[in-house]
Amino acid sequence: MSTATAVVGWFRAWGHVGRFALAAFAAAFARATYTPTTRAAALQQVYFTAWQPLAGFTLFSAVMSLVVIQVTITAARDFGLAGYALELVFRVLVLELIPFVTALMVALRSGSAINTEVALMHASGELEAMREARVDPMQREFVPRLVAAALSVVSLTVLSCAIALVLAYLVMYGFSPWGFQEYTRTIANVYSLPILTGFFLKGTAFGVAVAAIPISAGLEATHNLKSAPIAVMGGMVRLMLALALIEIVSVAAKYA
Amino acid sequence: MEPAPTPKPPQNFQFRAGLLLGLTLVVAIGFVAYVLYARGFFEAKQPLTLVTDNAEGVSIGDDLSFAGFPVGRVRRIALGDDGRARIELDIALDGARWLRTTSIFTLERGLFGSPRLRVYSANLKDPPLPAGSVRQVLRGDTSEEIPKMVATLRSALENIEQLTASGGSLQASLANLRTLTDKLAERQGMLGAVLGSEDDARKVVEAIDRANALLASLGGVSRKLDGMLGKADNRVFGEGGVMDGAQQAVGQANAALGEVRDNLKRVEKILADAEAVSGNAKAATADLGALRAEVDASLRKVSGLIDEINRKWPFQRDSEIRLP
Repeated sequence: MSTATAVVGWFRAWGHVGRFALAAFAAAFARATYTPTTRAAALQQVYFTAWQPLAGFTLFSAVMSLVVIQVTITAARDFGLAGYALELVFRVLVLELIPFVTALMVALRSGSAINTEVALMHASGELEAMREARVDPMQREFVPRLVAAALSVVSLTVLSCAIALVLAYLVMYGFSPWGFQEYTRTIANVYSLPILTGFFLKGTAFGVAVAAIPISAGLEATHNLKSAPIAVMGGMVRLMLALALIEIVSVAAKYA
Repeated sequence: MEPAPTPKPPQNFQFRAGLLLGLTLVVAIGFVAYVLYARGFFEAKQPLTLVTDNAEGVSIGDDLSFAGFPVGRVRRIALGDDGRARIELDIALDGARWLRTTSIFTLERGLFGSPRLRVYSANLKDPPLPAGSVRQVLRGDTSEEIPKMVATLRSALENIEQLTASGGSLQASLANLRTLTDKLAERQGMLGAVLGSEDDARKVVEAIDRANALLASLGGVSRKLDGMLGKADNRVFGEGGVMDGAQQAVGQANAALGEVRDNLKRVEKILADAEAVSGNAKAATADLGALRAEVDASLRKVSGLIDEINRKWPFQRDSEIRLP
């Protein structure tokens, strides 16, 4: 494969992603999509994506948060900047690190699974069979997964961030209630309305990317089963790139 | 329709997924409510505008602190028509009671961190600050002070450098000091150092020696004078001295005069008798009268003399001499 072909293929793949995302959005806002079957499919996807790894992931996230908080607050105290430690934790850990790690985890666990599943469905001719039966696979299979993945990422992010906020209070002030005023003031300083909106938008973008890119990559597979691994690989690479881009854009919008 | 490799979820997967989403929603709404509470969305506020010539570094959301506790928050920063920055704050009603009409507002800029807005209320009995007040801000800036401090320090260092440079005044002073201490260490010591040359110093020493010798001979003279005075004293006031003799002489004179008086008294008595017996002899009587007048006069003279001696010679207090 020459470089030019590769570049064209790369653009075509991103074109597929964009087209699929637009179509999925259109379907997601169509009333016909919301049937008991699709709701069940979405809840099943939420169950697999968010509920199953919930205990393990929150534990991992809590340990990671604790380490980062402890390091930040201890170092800040050493430098005599304890007043800035909480703000640093809120900005770096809660606003950036936890959402990104959550998105990565969901991408690795569910994104790859969705990618492979769609590639296999496509290779086995299942999707064509659905279309022949006048069932739109977009409404029936893809939109529920997409919505569920977005909800799962937001859900895991919100819960992990809540745990991190509690841990930050405990590491900073212990079990004393007298740090509440200062803690609240720092919260007020960090979380303004634009920041909260940006946080929600970023979480949603992570969630959508985690489902949309693998699905569109899965659709690139041919009827040959051997094309499935290549489709999965391309999809995962694009997913990682997309996640990194979203994070960079988010940070740039906040601090640039 | 489920793909073959997908594992079957348990029966209540819908409930579990719904529970998770519901929990997420509760946490998210709770957090947003907490942030709104933290940002003072639910509490009553009153506006306050602070005016300063430079609001650089102040950002929206900064605290106005009283005694280290936040009582207000920056809502907006704008440039006024007069070219001065206007910092608009929301003061929580709870914190507004610390603000008085006499409160002083400051904007202090440290080396790092955002500038701090502070309020100081010296007298909390003053009337409270009305809502919507406009107040001036006193500004203190550490980073602005540093260049000034560096400039001052540099000029000070330059002065020191000039003082200590070779040929500088400090070195010259030190050289002079060294000459001085060298002279102090020489034979004539301090005098040589003060007078400048050894010859002068020697002259001074000789002069002092002479003065000493003079003082010693003067001491002899005064001792002799002392002896002489002692002798004179003895001679005048001592046993058998001049004064003693004088006293005796006066005593004798007194006694002699006393005798004279007695004699005169006797003469007077005789004269009186004679006057009585020879009443007819007029001429004789007239002569006797003249004689008596003479005796009286001499008696008065003697009495006056005694008085005179007594007055002039205070040792004799015996005033037994009386006029008849």
